[in-house]
Amino acid sequence: MNKLRTLLAFFRKDLLEEMSYRTAFLMQIGGIVLTVSLWYLIARFLRPPEGAIPDFPGVPYFAYLLVGIAFYHYLGSALSSFATKLRGEQLTGTLEAMLMTPTPIPVIILSSALWDFFMTSVRVVLYLVLGAFFGLQLRFDSLLAFFLILFLTILAFSGIGILSAAFILYLKRGDPINFLISSASALFGGVFIPAQALPHSLGEVGRFLPITYALSGIRKSLLAGTRLPDLVPEVSALVVFVLILVPLGTAGFSLAVRKAREEGSLAQY
Amino acid sequence: MMPAAIEIHHLSKVFRRRRSLRQLFPGAPPKPRETWALRDISLQVPRGMIFGLLGPNGAGKTTLLKILSCLILPNEGEARVGGYDTVQEDTAIKRVLGFVSSDERSFYWRLTGRENLQFFGTLYEIQGRELSDRIAYLLKRLDLPEQADKPFGDYSSGMKQRLAVARALLHDPPILLLDEPTRSLDPISAKHLRRFIGEELNGREGKTLLLATHNLQEAEQLCQKAAVLSGGRVLGEGSVEELPAWGRGKEGYVLVLTGLPFLPDGLCDGLTQTPLSGGRLRVAGDFGRDGEELTRLLGEVVRKGGRVISCTRVEPSLQEVFDRIEGETP
Repeated sequence: MNKLRTLLAFFRKDLLEEMSYRTAFLMQIGGIVLTVSLWYLIARFLRPPEGAIPDFPGVPYFAYLLVGIAFYHYLGSALSSFATKLRGEQLTGTLEAMLMTPTPIPVIILSSALWDFFMTSVRVVLYLVLGAFFGLQLRFDSLLAFFLILFLTILAFSGIGILSAAFILYLKRGDPINFLISSASALFGGVFIPAQALPHSLGEVGRFLPITYALSGIRKSLLAGTRLPDLVPEVSALVVFVLILVPLGTAGFSLAVRKAREEGSLAQY
Repeated sequence: MMPAAIEIHHLSKVFRRRRSLRQLFPGAPPKPRETWALRDISLQVPRGMIFGLLGPNGAGKTTLLKILSCLILPNEGEARVGGYDTVQEDTAIKRVLGFVSSDERSFYWRLTGRENLQFFGTLYEIQGRELSDRIAYLLKRLDLPEQADKPFGDYSSGMKQRLAVARALLHDPPILLLDEPTRSLDPISAKHLRRFIGEELNGREGKTLLLATHNLQEAEQLCQKAAVLSGGRVLGEGSVEELPAWGRGKEGYVLVLTGLPFLPDGLCDGLTQTPLSGGRLRVAGDFGRDGEELTRLLGEVVRKGGRVISCTRVEPSLQEVFDRIEGETP
């Protein structure tokens, strides 16, 4: 119960801060409208041939692209929000004040990312609503599978994000994980183009990235209405990623906290 | 027997610098890789006492406070706060400990004072009605109710510092660490805060306070006992009444004389002479504590035809006291 209250306290604090920057919020919405329009025009301009997206026959490339990029934002959020928030609190000096409280450090880090995930969800909904104006057709008959996959996706991505925050906590800057994972995911994970369309065996790299299974499952549920029993391969793969990445991220973060306490650099930047 | 509020036994902390990329190249200037911030510190702070931790910048005061508040791990030795070990029982310590620093940046500037306290109060595991009542009580006690709903960024330095005290008191801890709490305050705000610390927190509520400061007067005014820290070592520890005499062999005075362009030979050893306008002369320096040297000097000045316009005793700076203590420490 205490942890839930902590989550809500962080959410309220971030909401109040965000509300004090009203113009920035409005500009974000304007940016989303322009971005969706741009994707629509690119998709129309490229017009891949029939059968170019093997798992989604009949699905227009715009729908494939929009869903891919929209949910790729969760990866971006997970990779950056833990580390960025931590660094922001270090820079503003509030991290030290938080670390003086009995709230455990992992709870502080998890709670600090809640607002970013919420805003990512708002952005994704906006993308999909705007996409509908450009002809995007979504299926809502497999929402249970969709939410389960989304939940596992956020967990798996958060494991990497927490590991990324560990680098920031210890090295202060130069997080090597963020750039590598996000670029590899964009290239090999089927965000813009299906893995089958990549030259030679490059598409195989995507098998080792959680985003491949996340996007596959989300697209199947939202664009094709595929039910949960037929999404077992994606769900199983994501569960394996969660079981590996979350303990890895947590262990890495605990190690970074210990090293930073030894060095006296916990709140330094 | 009740254990002390804070117990420190043979505590040492060394900071090891990471090797930079530049230092991997041949010919790079060598840099010291180790800095001893604390060396073999042992102290006891009894319950209900204001204990001063005195020292110049870089003495190790903040490092010690951060070890006590579980932000830094020591290399050697042990520290206990409220009976809990700082390495093994950090969560228990944070429930009985409040920390006041002089860093204005530790708040959210776009949030109001009340919103800041609501956020940190939740992190101190206080909720709902209990939290709002506690915030209202603290804002009133620290004379902030009028400003509670203004953004923190609009606060004056004094108000910011009072809010920092309010935050440290949210969970009503019996032990408080104060790291130079009056550093950025004007004399009046500093006086009010000192009064609150001395009369309210310690006098009325009986809280134990460990006050890190480099302000000798503040320590004399507030603390019952104090330790002098320099270069990471405890140079002296004792009652605060003894503090001005620690390591002090001489008394400082500034004299303004007239009728003499300079002091005669034999009187001016170790003294600084500065000619002033109107034929006056300013003489500054150390004299014996028993008044003998000063009386002799003044007598000679009058005998040689000079007149004494003023004679002011000057408190030595804490740095001078530290230097002397250090000089006398084997």
